[in-house]
Amino acid sequence: MSATLAGHSRTRSLHVPFSLRRRRPRDFDRPRFLRVFFWAFLVFTFAPLVVVALFSFNSTRSLQQFAGFSLQWYEAFFGNANLRASLLASAEIGLVTMIVGTFLGTTLAFGLVRARSRVARAGNVLMLIPLVTPEIVAGVSALLLFTQIKMELSLATIMIAEITFSISFVTVIVRARLASLHHEVEDAAMDLGATRLETLRLVVLPRLWPAIVASAMLVFALSFDDFVIAFFTTGESPTPLPVQIYSSIRFGVQPTINAIGTFMLVVSFLIVALAIALPRIFGHREEESVLIGREAA
Amino acid sequence: MTATGEAIRFEGVTKKFGSLTAVEDLSISINRGEFFSLLGPSGCGKTTTLRMVAGFEQPTEGRIYLDGEPVEHVPPYERNVNTVFQSYALFEHLDVEGNVAFGLKRRKVPEDEIRRRVAEALELVQLTGREKQKPSQLSGGQKQRVALARALVNRPSVLLLDEPLGALDLKLRKQMQVELKSIQREVGITFIYVTHDQEEALSMSDRIAVMNEGRVIQCGPPEDIYERPTGEFVAGFIGISNLLSATVTAPGRVRVANGLEFPVSLPNGCKAGDTVNVAIRPEKIAIDEEVTDDMVSVDGRVEARVYLGVMTQITVDLGHGARLVALEQAWHRARADDRWEPGMRVRLGWEAKNCLVLR
Repeated sequence: MSATLAGHSRTRSLHVPFSLRRRRPRDFDRPRFLRVFFWAFLVFTFAPLVVVALFSFNSTRSLQQFAGFSLQWYEAFFGNANLRASLLASAEIGLVTMIVGTFLGTTLAFGLVRARSRVARAGNVLMLIPLVTPEIVAGVSALLLFTQIKMELSLATIMIAEITFSISFVTVIVRARLASLHHEVEDAAMDLGATRLETLRLVVLPRLWPAIVASAMLVFALSFDDFVIAFFTTGESPTPLPVQIYSSIRFGVQPTINAIGTFMLVVSFLIVALAIALPRIFGHREEESVLIGREAA
Repeated sequence: MTATGEAIRFEGVTKKFGSLTAVEDLSISINRGEFFSLLGPSGCGKTTTLRMVAGFEQPTEGRIYLDGEPVEHVPPYERNVNTVFQSYALFEHLDVEGNVAFGLKRRKVPEDEIRRRVAEALELVQLTGREKQKPSQLSGGQKQRVALARALVNRPSVLLLDEPLGALDLKLRKQMQVELKSIQREVGITFIYVTHDQEEALSMSDRIAVMNEGRVIQCGPPEDIYERPTGEFVAGFIGISNLLSATVTAPGRVRVANGLEFPVSLPNGCKAGDTVNVAIRPEKIAIDEEVTDDMVSVDGRVEARVYLGVMTQITVDLGHGARLVALEQAWHRARADDRWEPGMRVRLGWEAKNCLVLR
């Protein structure tokens, strides 16, 4: 919006004789150089992704020269039974982690916001630890735990480790939303004849819904393509896709990796798009703020 | 409206939170159709009292009767009371209509009756035409009205209001005070109104209970509370009060710190030598030329002047640490060059009957 306005005023000023052109007073809180930063940010973020996506359609093995369009690397990806199994494993990990992690994280948020006990106050700090723990430490400690209790490494162990890691993300997001809900709103619902369950269903969940959806999508995106934790806790086979890619790279970089990378990127983008679109579809326009930081209308 | 019988009775109600006693031994009964206010400073237990009636808190001791029935085993959602919350507590995801209809829908009232009653309630609070707006699109005063309509539409036997006007600006607050009172007369529902604003309580209530530190200090009609406070706390909390420490010298006579002795009507049981507090309302004090021969009169020096527009408040030093605050109507001195300055000598006077003795 502001970009079109600025563009418009620039074209108009071309018709004004130079002598009449006066410095237009500008907002002090919108320095021009921020635009340079913005475009630089976009280029640095997306240029490598564009290159990967482009070369995934290359007709030759070259990673430097684009010869022509072809889908052979996608065929190689989906035609490989190992890779297919890995993709399925990653999707399974993502889904299970999303469902269990979101449920546990949401209930934890309820407990932390509502309970006034000393345990809850300690919990509020303790739950931040997984967020600041280096992922490699989380992975190694999960591996140590599983070997200590003699649990065989498999998809299940990856899921347990990923769920443990993801609960905090859910709790942070849902807790913020829950804290913004005045406790009198729940009182009001009960005062007007709603039972505790009805209060949860009719008043609390409609407010939390966008935060829950957002954190579920985030958890899926994080665990679907997570490498570090999965690397330490994975069993023999099938291994999750990122681990599979890592082990195949040891035998030289194959163009198939571009196809896999592009595919995973598209999946992640779709998930994020879904997280933004769902609250809109369900008619909570003001809830977009949860995800894209816009002020509530 | 059948304004007979009691709507609510508190019998020795005490509420403790751990070691803190929020409400202590509360025993009052509130009549049907009454506008009853709980007045007191923050933390005096008035909101806790309200929350016990609503069912959000359980009394530690004692009983609460609603329409003659004890309610300790009745959950909030089954009590025939509704609350207007301080924060309004509107449901942000529902529009105005959805908010107001919420209670009726829970009680499975038929669809067409809901529509009719919601329209009536919105008309009562003058919000017709805003049915489809979301709370975020409304001003503070409009949200307040939605909260009121949402509660009233259920026709509760008692409506609880927890400082409902606290967040509004002064002008809107005055306007809503008048409207609340007229709505209450119109619907004839018992209102229990919690406030820390003495003026609000005085202007709207049929009766006021003044609370402090969990106890009801005095309970009665506004005039009684204002004119005949039974203790220092009530006299000091409601309006500005001049309190002078005095000693009883003879039946019907007291002497204050600066040696002035004057007649008062002493409460029963006061005897010579007792120390009492003498209270005089600032607006009952005559200044200078207003002082007549039949008044108790005293001389002093002006210590401070506060111009309030409608009137001027002057603080007069009587010597020996005794001070009186008096109010002078604006029609006496309207010009800046004709006003009281600190240090000027002034004579104050009052009628003996306007002087109240507190023990």
